[in-house]
Amino acid sequence: MTDHVLTYMTFFPLAGMVVVLLLPRERHDLVRWASALFTLPPLLLAVWLYRNFDPVNPGLQFVEKAAWIPAYNINYFVAVDGISISMVLLTALLTFLCIFASWGIDKGVKGYFALFLLLDTGMMGVFVALDFFLFYIFWEVMLLPMYFLIGIWGGPRREYAAIKFFLYTLFGSVLMLLAILALYFSSEPHTFDMTQLIAQSSRYGTTPLHFWPFDHLRWGFQHVVWMALFIGFAIKIPAFPFHTWLPDAHVEAPTAISVILAGILLKMGAYGILRINYPMLPEATADLAYYFLGALGTWNIIYGALCAMAQKDFKKLVAYSSVSHMGYVMLGMASFTPQGISGAVLQMFNHGTITGMLFLLVGVIYDRAHHRDIDGFGGLAAVMPVYTGVSVLAFFASMGLPGLSGFISEVLVLLGAWQKYPLLSALGASGVILTAGYLLWTIQRVYLGATNEKYKAMPEINGRELFTLVPLGIIVIILGVYPNALLDLLRASLDQLNQLVIPHLS
Amino acid sequence: MSGDMILFFILASLSVIFSLLVIFPRNVVHSAMALAATLFFVAVLFLTLDAPMLAILQVLVYAGAIMILFLFVIMLLNPAALEGRRIAWWTLGSLAAVALLLELVSLFFYRPSPSGQPPVAAAFGGPETLAQSLFTDFALPFEIASVLLLVAIIGAVALAKREG
Amino acid sequence: METNLAPLLPSAEVVLTALSVLLLDLFIRKDEKGLLVWISLIGLALAGGMALFLWGSHEGAFQDSILLDDFALFFTELFLGAAAITILSSVHYVRETNIHEGEFYALVLLSTFGMILMAAANDLILFFLGLETMSIGVYILTGMWRERSQASEAAMKYFLIGAFATGFLLYGIALIYGAAGSTHLGRIASALGQTKSHGSIILSAGVFLLFVGLAFKVAAVPFHFWVPDVYDGAPTPVSAFMAVAVKAAAFAGWARIFLYQLSPLQSEWTLPLKALAILTMTVGNLLAISQSSVKRMLAYSSIAHAGYLLIALVAGGESGGQALLFYLLSYAAMTFGAFGVLIALKEGENDHEAYSDFAGLGFKRPFLGMAMSLFMLSLAGFPPLAGFTGKFYLFRSAVVAGHIDLAIIGALNSLLSVVYYLRVIVMMYMEEGGAEGKPFARAPYLYLAIAIAVLGTVYLGVLPAPALDLSRISFISLH
Repeated sequence: MTDHVLTYMTFFPLAGMVVVLLLPRERHDLVRWASALFTLPPLLLAVWLYRNFDPVNPGLQFVEKAAWIPAYNINYFVAVDGISISMVLLTALLTFLCIFASWGIDKGVKGYFALFLLLDTGMMGVFVALDFFLFYIFWEVMLLPMYFLIGIWGGPRREYAAIKFFLYTLFGSVLMLLAILALYFSSEPHTFDMTQLIAQSSRYGTTPLHFWPFDHLRWGFQHVVWMALFIGFAIKIPAFPFHTWLPDAHVEAPTAISVILAGILLKMGAYGILRINYPMLPEATADLAYYFLGALGTWNIIYGALCAMAQKDFKKLVAYSSVSHMGYVMLGMASFTPQGISGAVLQMFNHGTITGMLFLLVGVIYDRAHHRDIDGFGGLAAVMPVYTGVSVLAFFASMGLPGLSGFISEVLVLLGAWQKYPLLSALGASGVILTAGYLLWTIQRVYLGATNEKYKAMPEINGRELFTLVPLGIIVIILGVYPNALLDLLRASLDQLNQLVIPHLS
Repeated sequence: MSGDMILFFILASLSVIFSLLVIFPRNVVHSAMALAATLFFVAVLFLTLDAPMLAILQVLVYAGAIMILFLFVIMLLNPAALEGRRIAWWTLGSLAAVALLLELVSLFFYRPSPSGQPPVAAAFGGPETLAQSLFTDFALPFEIASVLLLVAIIGAVALAKREG
Repeated sequence: METNLAPLLPSAEVVLTALSVLLLDLFIRKDEKGLLVWISLIGLALAGGMALFLWGSHEGAFQDSILLDDFALFFTELFLGAAAITILSSVHYVRETNIHEGEFYALVLLSTFGMILMAAANDLILFFLGLETMSIGVYILTGMWRERSQASEAAMKYFLIGAFATGFLLYGIALIYGAAGSTHLGRIASALGQTKSHGSIILSAGVFLLFVGLAFKVAAVPFHFWVPDVYDGAPTPVSAFMAVAVKAAAFAGWARIFLYQLSPLQSEWTLPLKALAILTMTVGNLLAISQSSVKRMLAYSSIAHAGYLLIALVAGGESGGQALLFYLLSYAAMTFGAFGVLIALKEGENDHEAYSDFAGLGFKRPFLGMAMSLFMLSLAGFPPLAGFTGKFYLFRSAVVAGHIDLAIIGALNSLLSVVYYLRVIVMMYMEEGGAEGKPFARAPYLYLAIAIAVLGTVYLGVLPAPALDLSRISFISLH
């Protein structure tokens, strides 16, 4: 069993999809429970993985490798290391909880859960795949169910949002595919194996290429490939100016899908850069990280926060706050310091849990009031005290209040960045103030003040909803007090990753 | 001037006369008949060139089958409909003729030397050699052509058969 | 004289089946015509079995004018499969439209015979005869739905343009014969080797005309203008047969003639071929976007796919040949599937071919909806489906051969194609109204054909290794 733990984690949901498709169409509850049943084993295995992961070993663990298309040296190759372990844990946790957050779906239930389980396989696959071809396949597999989940079960403008999401991501995928081919043909012997591609990173040339009108940039092959991959990943993060699909997709997607989108899909962009750009193209990373990760990340922080401040729609506000928070991840990654990079990965995990909570909380009141207008509520604290309590916890965590997980990761990022780029770090820190501004203002408008007459009788948050929120809340508190619970796992691999790039920094 | 040459000039001038007769008469059927005669004289020309098979084929296929098709089409269509567009046809026709003339003139002056080619065997182009190769080297294509004809027959039946 | 008839075994079996079908058709009542389907399928299966049995042999017959190698056998199996799927998906269609069943199946079989010859022919005359047998069969199939005027119009158009293309082809063959002194491909190749200078203009002109004639048959831009009307007017199963099998046969000939025998001339036709590939993909995709009928969209998409396949011809070599063969397999599966779903929408007089007819299909007929989504995604090139794997190897072969620009243009084109393929899916799942679609009980054979296409599309995508090996072995056997 333990030999193939990652395969089981990846393909359990796919087996679940087959089972769900075979269940009778009318038995909605049966479909829901079956889905929950098939997402539970990956979660339990994730706990096992957490306990058995060797934090001292910076290399790959739980490796599985089998020939798939031997003629082209394509393998089924999965493993985890410090870069991916936290994402694997997050995926297992959020998908399980989101099954329960989807309980209220009553249109095409079977199709919804089948697609959800397929999405789960795709996401898990992206984080464990170490063969580039396999990685790309999982990356695309995940795109389709997402498109359908937004396009069929979404809000009024679902088609527009779904297509926009799809085309943006697909554009990125094509660039990524071309980059993959470029790397494949530069390796000798040709391979898609990521570890071998990393070992051959010196082959990817940096001699300046001539392509008018960009001659003065002195970009080599490595830089071009880096850029192609970066655009593919930046669309997912989403980094300015590729972020415009995000608010639309979030607003139209059903609650659970928003959680998955913000909690897991956005992380794939940053994960991809760490997993692929950093080790395979270290020289280009060293040359370009400041502009495209550091400066752009800082701009993301401030731009996202300013946009969030201007929103009237609760969900859009959370969506823009994601843009802002992912900026910290980019800034942290660009610093190449132990604090910065582990802060970035920790921020990825924390953003997943905190934003997941925020979207779930918006979902709770949307299900009751059927609108998300921030100004349309007011004084909910008096009507729904438990709900308000959980909300305030999530808001404070998002704001980065000490004692909660968001604080740790943001401080680590800013500390790390300060050593390299004091100006960016200072600007990024000012983002914290903006964040506090819009979040506190929202708390005031929604939860405090006079109670809106319409919602005097709004029912309190129910057991199922609490069940989805409480585990996330607990994790937020634990990681706020004892971040080493996760940081210990990451450190060795991330330090090794830093060491690959640092020699090339000028 | 040898007898061959005299024969050639008689045949050549006859075919030129008849091809002119294809163009000038107002009655289309007359033109067609003149064309048949032209083709026939060309066939005789082939005979004088020791190509009896080609001559027979010329008579069978062109003067026979194709001319019948021509006449069918002429009878099916109303030839008067073509009258109105005489000028367009004349222009097009003369352009093609000029092009052909240019080609011929250029061939006269720029003659590819025949020296590289091996001389043809005496029996070349005769019915025996043709039959020989048709039933040995090209037996398979010959058989397959029968399948091709079968397909065409089925098609004709399928497309023309009356319902019921 | 000892004559080796083994290379003719599968094709003779196909002709025999066609004749049996024709004869039997005369003696059975109208309600017994289902028997003809079974006879055709059994005949095809027998021929397939023979081809399988002969696998691995490498011999020629009739002065090597017809060859028995794995390349020919690969295509034989592909054509036999295509014929079987065409027959399966037309069983209900021909009954609804009063097409004469006996002649219909016989013509499908005889066209298949022509295709098999095209793939096996090592002599231009034989190749030409195979091409004509196939083409005439398909012209007639196009016009067989006589109650519909578009079908007759399409058949007429197809016939005239086909005859035109044939003219090019034949003239090209005549010029090549004039220059090389033989129609036998092997002797043409050796003549090429001996005298490069002599008659090279005539030879080039001949090759060029051959090239144009084949470009008509594979529907490459700018020789594509007949495709939309013909595919649109033809009975849908015949459109699928044309899109897959006729195209594959032309590519088989192209591969044998240009990639192998005339490969010394490669430098002469690489550039025009590359231009043709780029034009074909781009124009096909751009025109497909603006269609409102799914059948026409599929017609344009088949043009675009011809463009992708041309990439493999440009790339050439072992990797190009392998990619070509593999993509033809994948393309066959997904295209038959897409046309199959279109057939399932037909109800009586109404063809239901517009995008709006697909509205809500995903919920009304979940199997058809799921299958069509798979085919559309595969045609657009999504992993892990056949279309992705196929395109991946096509673009890879272009990169191997140094045509990186082709790979990039191809990738951008497949991005473009997503726009119109996705529209079908949007219609099926996000709109309401539209056609009902036949239930399984009313068209079991058709559902079987679609299910086979689904299996093929998924299998070739997820486990491509065996099919890739097969494609490579088949292509290598040319040499």
